[in-house]
Amino acid sequence: MEAFLQILFSGLTLGAMYALSAVGLTLLWGVVGMLNMSQGVMLAIGGYASYSAITYLGLPWPLGLPAAIIGGFITGLVFYHVMVRWMYRAPAFEVNIIIATVGAAIVLESLMIRVFTGYPLDQPFSLPGGFRIGGIQLPFQTLINLSVAGIMTLGLGWLLRSTRLGRAIRATAQRRDAAQLLGVPVARVYLQVMIMAGIIAAISGVMLTASVANLSPYAGTNPMLKAFFICAIAGLGNIPAAVGASLILAFIEGSIQYSVSARFGFPTMLGLAIVVLIWRPYGLFGQRTVERS
Amino acid sequence: MNGAGFIRMTPIRRDIAIGLFFLAIAIAIPFIDSSRSTMTQVILLFIWASIVTQWNLVFGVAGIFSLAQMAVFTMGGYTAAMLSLYMGWSLWLTSFLGAFMAVLVSGIIGAATIRLRGAYVALLTIGFAVVMQVLILTDSDCFFYRGVTCYNFTGGSSGLSQFGDFGFRDWLGYKQSLVGKYYLALFLLVLGTIFALVIMRGPFGYAFRALRDNANCASSQGINRVKYQILVFALSGFFTGLSGAFYAGHYKTIGPTMLDLSVLLLLLSMMVVGGLGRAWGPLLGCIILMFIDDQLKVYAEWRTVGTGAITILFIIVFRQGVAGLIEQLWERLLALRGARTAGASATNDKATG
Amino acid sequence: MTEASLNVDAITAGYRGRPVLRDVSLSVPEGKVVGIVGPNGHGKTTLLRCISGMLPLSSGQIVFRDRILKGLAIEKIAELGVIHIPQGDLIFPDMSVRDNLLMGAYMPAAYANVEQHLNAVHDLFPVLLERRDQIASTLSGGERRMLGIGRGLMCGGRLLMIDEPSLGLAPIVIEQIYAVLNELKREGRTILLVEENAARMLDLVDDIYLLDHGELVWNGTPAEFEERQEVLETYLGADL
Repeated sequence: MEAFLQILFSGLTLGAMYALSAVGLTLLWGVVGMLNMSQGVMLAIGGYASYSAITYLGLPWPLGLPAAIIGGFITGLVFYHVMVRWMYRAPAFEVNIIIATVGAAIVLESLMIRVFTGYPLDQPFSLPGGFRIGGIQLPFQTLINLSVAGIMTLGLGWLLRSTRLGRAIRATAQRRDAAQLLGVPVARVYLQVMIMAGIIAAISGVMLTASVANLSPYAGTNPMLKAFFICAIAGLGNIPAAVGASLILAFIEGSIQYSVSARFGFPTMLGLAIVVLIWRPYGLFGQRTVERS
Repeated sequence: MNGAGFIRMTPIRRDIAIGLFFLAIAIAIPFIDSSRSTMTQVILLFIWASIVTQWNLVFGVAGIFSLAQMAVFTMGGYTAAMLSLYMGWSLWLTSFLGAFMAVLVSGIIGAATIRLRGAYVALLTIGFAVVMQVLILTDSDCFFYRGVTCYNFTGGSSGLSQFGDFGFRDWLGYKQSLVGKYYLALFLLVLGTIFALVIMRGPFGYAFRALRDNANCASSQGINRVKYQILVFALSGFFTGLSGAFYAGHYKTIGPTMLDLSVLLLLLSMMVVGGLGRAWGPLLGCIILMFIDDQLKVYAEWRTVGTGAITILFIIVFRQGVAGLIEQLWERLLALRGARTAGASATNDKATG
Repeated sequence: MTEASLNVDAITAGYRGRPVLRDVSLSVPEGKVVGIVGPNGHGKTTLLRCISGMLPLSSGQIVFRDRILKGLAIEKIAELGVIHIPQGDLIFPDMSVRDNLLMGAYMPAAYANVEQHLNAVHDLFPVLLERRDQIASTLSGGERRMLGIGRGLMCGGRLLMIDEPSLGLAPIVIEQIYAVLNELKREGRTILLVEENAARMLDLVDDIYLLDHGELVWNGTPAEFEERQEVLETYLGADL
């Protein structure tokens, strides 16, 4: 029973973290066709925005979240105007944007090291403590993270399904030409999605750094890499599938950590990803239609 | 030979001319300046260029966006180092075994990504590199003891060392040993480059380009994607693995830092700046990036920022890379000359007519 | 003489420097239906792409209701009321039929009257009402074409450009679609219709242009066309 709870709680904690990292990633892929290798630093930017607002500006701690949202907004804006805007019409966008975002990740990471040093800091926006059930602690922050991941997924789902903007986003993702012919300003849609992804990543970053990881320029790297596997398995572009896969994989990882060794969490995920992709090259629920040549 | 003659040469002859030009400079360097700093810098350049040349085959020519290049390199290096360390074999022998191990691993990666496209290839291959790094970094079981100190199988986060070297110091003496390693590195680079050129200019290259540009059309012409993809991965793996083994023997150590994202980015920017898929792109890119890096040494903390920014700039504005720019310049020159001679003959006609 | 809605004046355009259209001029009068006929691959689709802004012009001018279209973004041209219903089925495959139609009314002017447009389209194509919650990719070929046209009608545009509405459809479905086009004509819509064969459109159009190898080679009324059909067919080496 204790073992079960242990696995359950660590699975929930990890799963919430992965889900937070995967949502923004899969949104960008689904709409813009962009695998964002800067997702990790975008998470860290959110963490630092919150940290700076509370520590340097002396704002009360709940204002860390709006500060992160502003940081994410700016990041999305900059990404669009510096990179995406010039690239999305050109051939081989899918590969070019991966290279460009690897470059951006390194630039931003170096800048963060310059400003904040590489030493881990404490995220002041956090809720310490937790419930004790059967002698095992379930941290409050895990519950917050799960709720935030859930709210973001539902909110995003509602936006995409039921609003005029959301329909335009889906239309652009599915048939860019046809959407344009109906008067959809594709450039603006891409900008809006880029900003949404920036904000989602920033919020996720605050939650992540408040929970398991400390705040450092590399804080987002591991969650991003795990999110890669999750998205590969779930299929890029499908948000609910990404969240579901996050939880399932986190439980698998949790069980392996408990029964074998923490070392083999990553390799197990890779193995699963390879098996799934050999079986289904676009993931379990991937959208093949997004692929552009 | 005049300029116009050079311009009109067949690609193969032009490659030979360019290759001999670079080779002559490379051979001459130790005679001009055999200082320790120059030698180490240029040896490193040769190593990077060897890796990027092979990566360029997979990525630029075959169009498979693999990010596992450094994993293949590290596999070659570790295999050589571990076999020398645990079996006591000469590094000359284990280097080849390392290269074959790299062929095997690279072929497996090639096979695993066969049905995948673009971003999914990137996802899976970077995952492979990450897993390899994690497994090395978290390796904490004692494999053997030297005195009372415990050593891991893979050397863990500090990497492997004390597995011997290529023995240049015994043959050439301390002072000349670096020059010996210099020429060995050069030899490896020349071999790798010849191999890459043969692939690119030969029938293989045609098949790869056909697969890259239109996989469906190529397969309807009987080009077997499975066969070629595994082949390109495996073949490029050989020289990549060999470079890894040389790296280990040269620095007498190899560690998991070679799998860092920053190393991958450095090599990626070399390839992008030089020109994706261009025969001489990797070499040019390595020279340019090493030069810029050297210039930025004073502003050490801005080096990575510079590398990242240059990569973004090139991928957006000059996707053809420096090699592509030179090629364009060349063609324009050719067109200009052509126009001038045509114009001259026209006036001649008028004069005679 | 009615006022011209669309005026295409001596345009040349192509892909990668190779011209597909050479010196093409035509005009679509307000409230009339104009047909363009010609063998496949001779620039009909390219012409529509030029008008809707998807392909830049090398030279020439396109004027729609006194506005010069050159240099305008695709979505701006759509906002002026030029509605391009593209060839094939460029519907949004993973969206429901209803969402596809709602996307047609994306532009603010159309969105203000979305219910009215929706009812009008449902009247013309009752099947779209029946299948409103079905995912578009599961529709039959004919239903998709109806959805494509219906979505275009949702825009409430002033000029409808329809690219090969009968392509690849069963005769009975073609009849249904042409019945709708006739209905639209009765309402006084301005339409530019592109087809490979003239036979279908002879009863519908007011004016026919023949496009061959990127150039307009003949222009006249349907009656004139029928008179000279054999000569024209011999000239083009194709059935019209």
